[in-house]
Amino acid sequence: MNTHERDMKVTVQNKNGELTFDCGERESILYAGLRQGINLPFECATGTCGTCRARVTSGDVDVRWKDAPGGARLKPDKGDILMCQARARSDCLLRVPSELVIADTAGPAMRRGIIRGLRPLTNDVMHFDLHLTSPMSFQAGQFVVLEAAGIAGGRAYSMVNFANDVERLALVVKRKPGGRFGDLLFDNLSGEAEVEVFGPLGRAVFRPEEDRNFVCIAGGSGIAGMMSILECATQVDYFRNHKGALFFGVRTLADAFYLEQLSRYAAASHGNLDVTVALSDETIGAKLHAEFPILKLANGMVHEVAAKGMAEWDRNVIAYVAGPPIMVDSTIRSLIVGGIPIKDIRYDKFS
Amino acid sequence: MTWKRICEAAEIPENSVKKFEVDGVALVVVNYGEGFRAIPPICPHMEEPLAESGVVARCILTCTKHLWAWDLRTLEMQGETERPLKTYEVKQENGTLLANIEGELTYDFDDAAGDSDDDDFFK
Repeated sequence: MNTHERDMKVTVQNKNGELTFDCGERESILYAGLRQGINLPFECATGTCGTCRARVTSGDVDVRWKDAPGGARLKPDKGDILMCQARARSDCLLRVPSELVIADTAGPAMRRGIIRGLRPLTNDVMHFDLHLTSPMSFQAGQFVVLEAAGIAGGRAYSMVNFANDVERLALVVKRKPGGRFGDLLFDNLSGEAEVEVFGPLGRAVFRPEEDRNFVCIAGGSGIAGMMSILECATQVDYFRNHKGALFFGVRTLADAFYLEQLSRYAAASHGNLDVTVALSDETIGAKLHAEFPILKLANGMVHEVAAKGMAEWDRNVIAYVAGPPIMVDSTIRSLIVGGIPIKDIRYDKFS
Repeated sequence: MTWKRICEAAEIPENSVKKFEVDGVALVVVNYGEGFRAIPPICPHMEEPLAESGVVARCILTCTKHLWAWDLRTLEMQGETERPLKTYEVKQENGTLLANIEGELTYDFDDAAGDSDDDDFFK
């Protein structure tokens, strides 16, 4: 028996060459590569999308979540795996279907965190804080993957807060039927749970130096990353010189949350941040929120409300999208038809 | 040349993607306003079904899953798209849309003869 962690050498090859990195016994091959700055292909990092597929040509790997939905199109008889679900059991040689480079910026890392400060926001949405063992910096819009003992695979959550070198991540979870992570949180309101945290990840980020107007379109708990973007923008007084809009889609007004914070962002925006809450399953006559009248209300699906709200906008705008898969698809479709170039549409798929 | 009838051209509204099966070959037809394209029914990226994931605007077909896109006039790849679309030749005769289907066009991630050397993985 090994009592200390042993490092394996993992070599990834593509058409253009190969790179070798260390991989510990207890970490996934994907995470090992990412934390060492190698841009392995991935999107969700949690077994659902299939983007991190690779073919093992020599060596042993152990696949943790064998029925991961992202693995549906793999050919296991040829050694195909999802790198996010695979751990090296020996030195390995893998092929990946995309170009590889080593990044010159700090990559993601594994940390431990303790869940505290659970606070219900609606019937099925919970805010929680994650206290990290070592501080983390991230870009507004990024996410982390949490892994808890006894729950297969990880769950991805976008940060709600924004700051450099933070020891506390603010996160939000929506409880879904059969969602074991949500159950863990909702059933232990007073207790503290320890989890592993990998991140930051995600490319749908806000960078003030891009110097452009932007629109955020969020469904339900997809609002999390948008809060981080608005927090970052507010901290640098971005709305002094730029326009922004947020369209927040929920079923009914009772399902909306973070409204007080959103009204503070709008109030600090010199009139340049427009926040609209779109209600898909409830018809409300009022055009403004009764308690926070700086927030607009609209009836309809959020992608339709956003398309209408953006009709007068210049097409030179960055669009951030987050939410349930169907909402993200409808919104992307609507943005493309509306003439927003694909290079300006930003989203991370991890549902 | 094996020209086969797909449908009446009028059955496919402008800027839409519609799936057909012609003699056992599944394909989608795209009306991009300036013409029609007949292509395999899945995105060459990750096999998404284009009849559902595809959107057409300004002659560009985009798969909404990962934003791979092609200009249907020239078949030029857009943005970060890494693979070309395969197409069946199409023509119209008296309002009927025909495609030249000699055999099913597939992308390399499909099982095909001769991939035992694993080279298919990189294509």
